[in-house]
This record gives sequence, C-alpha cells and structure tokens, in this order.
Amino acid sequence: MASLSTVRSSASDRSARLAGVAGMIAQRAALLAVFLVVWWLAALRVPAFILPGIGKTWDALRELIASGTFGDDLGITLYRVVAGFALAALVGTPLGVVLGSNRRLGQFFDPLLSVVNTVSAAIWAIFALIWFGISNGTTIFVVFMEAMPLILTNVWQGAQGVNAEYIELARSFQMSRAKVMTKIYLPTVLPHFFSGARLAFGFGWRVSLVAETIGSSNGVGYRLRQAADLVQTDQVFAWTLTLIVMMVVVEYGILKPLENRLFRWKRRV
Amino acid sequence: MNAPHNALAFTQDRPAAVRNAVEVAHVSKQFGKLMVLEDISLSAPAGSVLAIVGASGCGKSTLLNIIAGLARADRGSVTIDGATGDRSHDTRVISYMFQEDRLLPWRTIAANTEFGLEARPMRASERRERSLEVLKMTGLEGFENAYPHELSGGMRSRVALARSLVVKPYMLLMDEPFSKLDPQMRSQMHAELLRIRDQLKMTIVFVTHDVEEAIVLADRIVVLKPRPGRVRDVLDIDLPRPRDPLAADVAEAVRHVRALI
Repeated sequence: MASLSTVRSSASDRSARLAGVAGMIAQRAALLAVFLVVWWLAALRVPAFILPGIGKTWDALRELIASGTFGDDLGITLYRVVAGFALAALVGTPLGVVLGSNRRLGQFFDPLLSVVNTVSAAIWAIFALIWFGISNGTTIFVVFMEAMPLILTNVWQGAQGVNAEYIELARSFQMSRAKVMTKIYLPTVLPHFFSGARLAFGFGWRVSLVAETIGSSNGVGYRLRQAADLVQTDQVFAWTLTLIVMMVVVEYGILKPLENRLFRWKRRV
Repeated sequence: MNAPHNALAFTQDRPAAVRNAVEVAHVSKQFGKLMVLEDISLSAPAGSVLAIVGASGCGKSTLLNIIAGLARADRGSVTIDGATGDRSHDTRVISYMFQEDRLLPWRTIAANTEFGLEARPMRASERRERSLEVLKMTGLEGFENAYPHELSGGMRSRVALARSLVVKPYMLLMDEPFSKLDPQMRSQMHAELLRIRDQLKMTIVFVTHDVEEAIVLADRIVVLKPRPGRVRDVLDIDLPRPRDPLAADVAEAVRHVRALI
C-alpha cells in the first residue's frame, strides 16, 4: 500500500515539476526581454563610446571571435581560475575538516581567517605581481587567496555541525577514525563545501580579471584593459557578455545538475 | 498470575552450568563527584532476554554503555561470554541499538543497513547480499532504495534494527529502542524482535522505563533504584509466550514490578 501511494505521488510530482520548469523558462525569457529593451532604449540617447547599442556590441563580439585570440584568451583565463580554485579546494577542504573537528585547533586559528578575509583582492594582486611577475602564477595565486578562505570557512562550519550521535554510532560498530572521517564527516560537510565552492568559483572568476589587468599579458582581463585603454567600449561590452554567458552555463549546466544529483537524499521543501 | 511468586531473587543461586552471555560484577561509575552506578552486579544467560528497568536518572543508559564498551567502569568488571577485558580485542560481536534510529539521511535504506558492515573489509556484493537478507527479515523488502526521510517512524526503527542485526551479533544491546513509537507499532516491533531472536539465537540486553515492555520481552528483569543507581531486585519471568499485555498474569507481573520502581 505504501509503495502504491509512493508511485502515485511521484507521477503527480513529475507533471507538477514539468509545469514548474515551463513557468520558470517563461519568467527567465521575460526578464531577458526587459533587460534588452532597457539596454536598447538607454543606448539610443547615449554616445556609443559610453554605452554601445545591442547591434554594435554584437558586431564587436563577432569581430572578437573572428580575430583568432578569442578562444586562447578565454581558455587561459578559464585555466587560471580553475587551477586557483582547484588548489583552494584541495587545501581548504581538509583544513576545514581538521579545524572543524578539533575545537582547540579551531579556536586557535579562528582570528587568522578573519584577517585573511579582510585583505582585498587588489592587495593580493599587487603582492602576486611582486612575487610571480607577469605569469600564470599571479592570477592563480589571487584566485587561490580569494577562494581558499571561502571554502575553508564553509567546510569548517559544516564540520562543526557534524552530529555527535552519528559518530557514536560509528564507534559502536568500532569504526576507525579514518572511516569516521570519510563516512560521517565528508557526507555532512559536502553540502557546505558545495555552497562554499560555488561562492569561491564566482569570486575567483571576478578577481581573476582584476589580477589579469595588472599581472598578465593575455587572458580576458588583459583584453578588457586593452579595450578600455583604446576606448573600444563595444569590445568591453562584448567581453562582459561572454563572461556572463559562461557563468550562466557553468551554473545551470554543471553546478545545478551536480547539486541535484549529489543531494537527492534531501527532503524536497 | 503466579509470575511474581515464582520470581527468584538473584541472590538465590542457580546451577553453575548456565553459560552467561554477559556478567557484570560490582560495577561502579562516577561522573565527577556524582555517583551514577554503585556496585551493580547482574548476568544474562546466553540466548536470554534481559531487561534493565528503573526510573530516569538511575544510570540505565550508562550501564548499557559500559556493557557495550562505549564507556568504562571505574570499578568492577564486565565479562562477555567468559572473557573480561578490552572490547576491541573481542571476537564476539555486540550490536547497539540507540534510542534514536540514527539513520544517515544521505544513505538509502540498503546503504544504511550496510553501514554496520563497513568497519571491516568485506566485498561490496557480500555486504549488499547480507543487508538485503536482514531487510527481508525485518519486513523492509522493496524499500532498499528509499531514503530515511521517506519512511515512517516505525519503518525507520526497523531499519535501525536491521542495521544492528546485519553484523550477526552475539548480543544485541538496546537503549529504549521503541520508546518513540506509538503503542500499536511498539507491540508489533516486540513481536518481530522476539521472532528474529528465535531465528538468530542471540542474547538481548535492553534498557527501558516501560515496565510492560520489559515483562512482555524479558526472561529476566533487573530493577534499578536511582541516585546512585543500585540493583533493587532481580526477577525471572517464566510466563508463557507470546505474552499479551492485557492477559491477567502479565498485568499482575507489571503491577508487581511497578511497585518496585
């Protein structure tokens, strides 16, 4: 009987979800239309070097893609962001678990985190320029310094919230400490890691451009500064549009589906 | 009707041939200055069901934790199947069923059941096989892939039982395991537990404040007095099974034990 009602509710769930998705797509399309209209109206009254119109931006984008370095610049920037982010995740996650599971260590290092969090990305960029010069290392370092504390903080908080009852349960089965880490701590921390990683990736992406404007001779940030120096506002807009599209693709093409798959055990609210 | 009269005090020695699954001898435990348990001695013959009853604050759960090896006694000894000492070197498997079901929300029912087997190396296919076997035994067939939040309280309790049984325990310890279920579900779980006990031939030691539960399940009842926890009385229950809580002899035994608490 229980399984019957489960089947029925999942069928009605599915149709409700489909209707929800259709409504969502309509809403997103409407929002995009409003944005484009506002842009078009604003561009009508303003010179193109301040606010280029939709058509001009589109032309600039096509020109950029045709120029040949478009893919290279996008690729190198993406590489730096992903490298910095991956390093941040590799360092921040275990550190957060250790600090979160050990109260005394956590208390000792707590102030350090606040200090690191208050340092602006621009300062890291300047330091990186001194230490690494014009190289990939500069941007990767800045992304790392921005992303690592975010991941660390979230994982730290997650590890503090581990249910002591689950640890006792594992202990009653005589599980080793290493197994408690992988079977209790890790699954508990994963949702926190995810929200931290999402923030970190977004922040890393943004600061990478700042770092590239001063510490690099290629990449999207460098091209943005070049375009700004030459008052090629349409190109600045074209790059901005590209970045927005990329972030949307990452969010809805990778992060959301991954999250839905990983956390399917959660009760739907 | 004659149960209370048949009940023997623990001090009246029985034949020495009885093999005890667990023997607790003169165990005392303090938390700081607070004496929690004082000179507790009890034993459960292999294959029997022992209930530890008492008002809250009499150290029932602490006693169970000491038997499980989750806590250490300050004085006295715990002997499992004739062996005293460090539980981690013990080959006898002891399962512990907690008051809460403690199902891991991120694991399916089958994966939750397998959790008990993951402390030791074992092939994944064998783990799955054994978990399906106990899920069938506890009436959870068909729910292997459900998540805990999709189940009712009674079914979650069954999963917790399945997880305790999957390790094929020599002894099952339970800390008020069914106290959060409604009365009907609770008596259903009692029947299931006794059926499974007959099937697996294990010893059960459980803690409860529900005297009726103790009478229905147990072969022997240890009544504790609170502050500090001491043994007030030990009663052997010889009533025929199955025991209906509404039957006159069972009700009489319940009254008798309630008077002791």
